[in-house]
Amino acid sequence: MKKIKLPINKKSWSWIWKITGTVIIIVIISCNLTISSVNQPAAAAGGSVVPITLNCSIFSNNPQTSALVVGILVPKIWNAASNTTVSFTSDQTTGPQPMSVIPPGTPSPFGGGLSWQDDMMATIGHANNLIPEYEWIAFQSNTTYNYPGTTTETVTVTIQIKVSDNNVLFNMAYVIAESTDGLHSTNYYPPNPPTSYYGTFFPASPIRINGTGTLLDFVNPQLSTVVPGSSLDNDIITIPFDATASNNSLSSANQVYLCATGFANGDSIKVCEQTDRTRLTSTGQGQWQTNIWPRGFFNLSPAQKLDSIEYYFTDATGATRVGYGGGASPFTFNFSCQ
Amino acid sequence: MLRTIKTSCILLLGWFIFSCKVEHATPPNEPMKNIAGSWGIIHATRNGTDMTSGFDFSKFRIVFTDSTYAIDSLVPFMVSTGGKWVFDDPQYPFNLIFTPADSSKSILAPFLFPVTGGVRNIIVTFSPGCPSNSYQYTLQKVN
Repeated sequence: MKKIKLPINKKSWSWIWKITGTVIIIVIISCNLTISSVNQPAAAAGGSVVPITLNCSIFSNNPQTSALVVGILVPKIWNAASNTTVSFTSDQTTGPQPMSVIPPGTPSPFGGGLSWQDDMMATIGHANNLIPEYEWIAFQSNTTYNYPGTTTETVTVTIQIKVSDNNVLFNMAYVIAESTDGLHSTNYYPPNPPTSYYGTFFPASPIRINGTGTLLDFVNPQLSTVVPGSSLDNDIITIPFDATASNNSLSSANQVYLCATGFANGDSIKVCEQTDRTRLTSTGQGQWQTNIWPRGFFNLSPAQKLDSIEYYFTDATGATRVGYGGGASPFTFNFSCQ
Repeated sequence: MLRTIKTSCILLLGWFIFSCKVEHATPPNEPMKNIAGSWGIIHATRNGTDMTSGFDFSKFRIVFTDSTYAIDSLVPFMVSTGGKWVFDDPQYPFNLIFTPADSSKSILAPFLFPVTGGVRNIIVTFSPGCPSNSYQYTLQKVN
């Protein structure tokens, strides 16, 4: 058989391989949503409107028509879904593009039935916020946009959150995604993993809201923060005690009791004993908690309504006390709804 | 002979047609729901979190008669005193309506009435405190 000799020498082959290799790389990298930076104030006043900007870029090899989705991790106490406006500008659009809250329960694509909010929590997490009183709120652009593909689109998202009056220290977190692929799409996998279709950003510093009341510190381990934060005296409230959060005289106690005073219509009702009624249950590794129904715990008459409680923790003798910051002053909790 | 056959056929045909009775199918009557008795809490959640073993619900009782209810060993609940109750619909109820004796205001409580493991349960959902806190109790008849 006659040997076919191609009219290409070694040097040409080398170039051909280099070009082909480059082309293959371009084909592989075909989708990317990124939040490159976030402008978020270090501090803001309670009750004010906090402005936040997300600087994002979107790239895809394939044209697509989708709506933009933005998620924000917030403390529940802000009631942020009703107090936030989100809009965006981009290279291909003119003027701010409106976005609306995604109703809770709306399923996220490829999310196995989870809502956008639950999917964000399960996939992206809670940014090391320690008090379990946070939520993801999700916004979607009011219309879909035709993304032509093969160009990097710069998108600037403007968020304005009217925060509550409370004193808060919180780790914010953000996500951008689109309505077609959600957080788990396998449309172009391989080689594009589902993480190609969304971008997250965790600011290095928490946001501090300077407001009223006891500081709700989500960042540093707390000795005790009542859950749910929005509760009335007819709710069941969980009073935790994290003996490991900071040095205190009950760090190695094997029994912890609650000593509490309820304030109702100007009266104060004290329940301070070391019995079954006030004993905390250990949940392991220095973590304790008790669930109380304040109306029953303080034996209130129908006319009495608690405004707040003060409490501290004691050992089995009642002599050793741990209050706010590990000191002698009690913890306080105000009954209110958000 | 042929005439006999013809007559027989006509008679038979007549018999077939007039022997068919129109069946009047009566829809089965949905039984009225009966919740008379004493019910206790076997399962409780707050905002989806299981609270059953974290708080003492064991002493609570709600006792229904045909038209009244009474509460013993109160825990957070949609009503705190006894009074009258009705279903929003006796055959297909979706809500229990409580009217405490000391109030003219009625409270609507959505409920489910499933049979689980052969036993009838009542599942009620309500917010006794802040509207943002949702509690769900599963009640079962106790003796």
